[in-house]
Amino acid sequence: MSDNTIIQFDQVTKKFDDAIVLDSVSFKIERGKFYTLLGPSGCGKTTILRLIAGFTEPSSGSIYFDGKVINDVPANKRQVNTVFQDYALFPHLNVFENVAFGLKIKKMKKAVIGEKVKEALKFVNLEGYENREINEMSGGQRQRVAIARAIVNEPEVILLDEPLSALDLKLRTEMQYELRELQQRLGITFIFVTHDQEEALAMSDEIFVLNHGIIQQSGTPTDIYDEPINRFVADFIGESNITAGVMIEDYKVSFAGKEFICVDRGLNSNEPIEIVIRPEDLAITVRDEGKLRVRVDSQLFRGVHYEICCYDEFENEWLVHSTKKATVGEEIGLTFDSEAIHVMRFNESEEEFDKRLEAYVEKDHAN
Amino acid sequence: MQTKSRNFYLFPYTFWIALFVLAPLGLVLFYSFTDLNGEFTLGNYGAFFTSTYLQLTLSSFWYAFLIAIFSLLVAYPTALLLTKTKHKQLWLLLIIVPSWINLLLKVYAFLGIFGTYGPVNALLEVAGIGPQQLLFTDFSFVLVSVYIFIPFMILPIFNALDKLNPSIVDASRDLGASSWTTFRHVIFPLTIDGVRAGCQLVFIPSLSLFMITRLIAGNQVTTLGTAIEQHFLVTQNWGMGATIAVFLIIAMVIIMFLTGKRGMTNGKKA
Amino acid sequence: MEKKRKWPAIYLSIVFVILYAPIFYLMYYSFNSAGTMYSFDGFTLDWYREVFQDTRLLVIVLNTVINALLSAVVSTIIGVFGALAIMYVKTQRIKNTLLSLNNVLIVSPDVIIGASFLILFTIIGIQLGFTSVLLAHIAFSVPIVVIMVLPKLQEMSPALIDAARDLGASRFEVLSKVILPYITPGIFAGFFMALTYSLDDFAVTFFVTGNGFTTLSVEIYSLARQGVSLTINALSTIIFLVTIGLVIGYYFISRQSGGLTGMGVRK
Repeated sequence: MSDNTIIQFDQVTKKFDDAIVLDSVSFKIERGKFYTLLGPSGCGKTTILRLIAGFTEPSSGSIYFDGKVINDVPANKRQVNTVFQDYALFPHLNVFENVAFGLKIKKMKKAVIGEKVKEALKFVNLEGYENREINEMSGGQRQRVAIARAIVNEPEVILLDEPLSALDLKLRTEMQYELRELQQRLGITFIFVTHDQEEALAMSDEIFVLNHGIIQQSGTPTDIYDEPINRFVADFIGESNITAGVMIEDYKVSFAGKEFICVDRGLNSNEPIEIVIRPEDLAITVRDEGKLRVRVDSQLFRGVHYEICCYDEFENEWLVHSTKKATVGEEIGLTFDSEAIHVMRFNESEEEFDKRLEAYVEKDHAN
Repeated sequence: MQTKSRNFYLFPYTFWIALFVLAPLGLVLFYSFTDLNGEFTLGNYGAFFTSTYLQLTLSSFWYAFLIAIFSLLVAYPTALLLTKTKHKQLWLLLIIVPSWINLLLKVYAFLGIFGTYGPVNALLEVAGIGPQQLLFTDFSFVLVSVYIFIPFMILPIFNALDKLNPSIVDASRDLGASSWTTFRHVIFPLTIDGVRAGCQLVFIPSLSLFMITRLIAGNQVTTLGTAIEQHFLVTQNWGMGATIAVFLIIAMVIIMFLTGKRGMTNGKKA
Repeated sequence: MEKKRKWPAIYLSIVFVILYAPIFYLMYYSFNSAGTMYSFDGFTLDWYREVFQDTRLLVIVLNTVINALLSAVVSTIIGVFGALAIMYVKTQRIKNTLLSLNNVLIVSPDVIIGASFLILFTIIGIQLGFTSVLLAHIAFSVPIVVIMVLPKLQEMSPALIDAARDLGASRFEVLSKVILPYITPGIFAGFFMALTYSLDDFAVTFFVTGNGFTTLSVEIYSLARQGVSLTINALSTIIFLVTIGLVIGYYFISRQSGGLTGMGVRK
């Protein structure tokens, strides 16, 4: 185990009655990074958080903290603190008392507590709010109190359970910047749970994409966005055009009735695969100049771009994000670079997938 | 690990349940099978199925039914009109306040109001009917009971009406229903739970409250409650009293089953 | 239109007049020097004087209040334990069973409660009197406290307990620093309800009180059975004022706890 690892899951399984919520999950969390657990509701992301916090125990497997198994350590003895989804601020205590709660439990001296609370509130830009009641605070302010209450205990890891989901869009974007900045200033590990892919892409050093109690893919935001491992990840992170195809040979793939040059290799010849092309990688051109010929079905103006929905002759849907306007009902051509084609094998494990991608990189270097 | 330490809250509470809920019920059942000397007998049940007790049960139910119907007739329009007032919570509070006054005092007031020289008889005299014997009749018993129980009936109906989404009523009007059709086919069916709860809150006490009967109706009316009190505290025939109590409990369970469980938490002790 | 709007007001007025008339009728004649509940003769405070000079009556009032306070305190403690117990039971079936058993005494008619407690106290050999009345009042107040406290517990987000644990609180600290302060309004409401139920109870007390011990309700009943006596009227005016005071007090308690959760009709 490298020195930088603070939390490790080793084949952790969690069952509620007979339902498997987490299925033999293993991963490592390093110190000082911003992690995001991303997935739809019920994927197991909150369960991972609760296991780390100590609110539930694993059905099997081990959880390590700083190299020691902590399966049986109760929540109040763990060096992690949580920012809850609905903040879970104590309504009968004011802002100061909420933030001081953990310190008072530790029986710290009054003066020290006052000092630390003041500092923590300053950290989250809430100086002077000590004596406010919780119900006098706005959603964004409560959010900050919850963060202050967590960081004041100087934990090694802060767990954030969808803390921005209750805020409106503008405030949410603002808090994304703030949280990211806060994490960098504090230099401690943040583990952030969300179902919002944009939030995950914007804030994280590392993202774990979860579904059905299994980590589907982990990596940096760009890795995951550019090279989704499977249909679920491609679909969940950003919008994608996913079509069935066949890998004819290295660098040659066929889909939508045509053959295309691509950058993928090392697959079996004639292996059935799925290909992904992001809508923003498709460009509109005149009918006969495109790699694909499609009919424009509908068009929505999205502000930054037009979202154009087209169908090819095989009735495959192609979603295009373009700054150029199209005409509904007209036939147009679509072009794209060969790098835009991303090939996904069926049932490929994350390990195999990583190996394949690494091989491409080596090849590139060799060239 | 977690469950073990929590069980300790259960201890005083289950002790209370065992001693004051289960034991008394069991004892009532046990005593219903004993005679005056404490020997086992089925005689009490035999006695209950004679005409005297069956008639008593029947008339007790009949009075409870009358009281519930009249209370409903007064309470429903009141509740409906209350929901349309401006400060409805305040008005509701004012309806409830009289129910917080000791029941005995309210009943006692009627000793004066219905008395030979009381205001009601004075009114009858003016109307040319002449003074009547009002106290110690079943009429006065029903009337006083209705008076006592009206707030019990109003509260659950008011709550049901208050919860009703106003746009449902608007929708009904919008679709061409008259006020009466709207009431009959929309408002009333949607507030039937409140009516049920109210009837439960009125019906069960009507069967059992013995002090109204004793003070207002003299010996003219005997309800199941009066009979139980009589057997336990006057004739000291606990076995027979317990038998009637068993039937009162059965009646209560049936009524609660018919009117739905919702009334239990809605209203208070009766 | 005008006519239509009038009828509801008239109907409501009549209902209000009928609801309050007997109470004010009682109060009005408490000042009647003639000593009857008809033909008002002249104003007098004699009946009030009589109430305050009747030491027997004052002792009964004192007994009633002491009994109510004691039973409210004990039943509040047991009731809070009960609410916590119900809250923490994990099996839904056990939870429902406990709730049903809790509600038995709330829905049971007073005669049944009174009669069955009479049997119980006789069997286990508790002398009828202060003890039996106190025990009976505690017994029927416990489920009311549970009913008042439980919603507060249920409305409390479980995340609050997690948050307290997360911040290092032990199980006892979670209870004393988070749960109890949070449900305090419910506890007060429960205590208040238990107090008023005890003060007001007649039927159960009537069954389990012996010859030596009487509460106010029982005393009023026996006085009323002897016929009209204006000391009762004077007493009822006082009780009415005290009740109004308690209602206002309760109103403020429940307003603090956010809403008239427990305000209900009472016997």
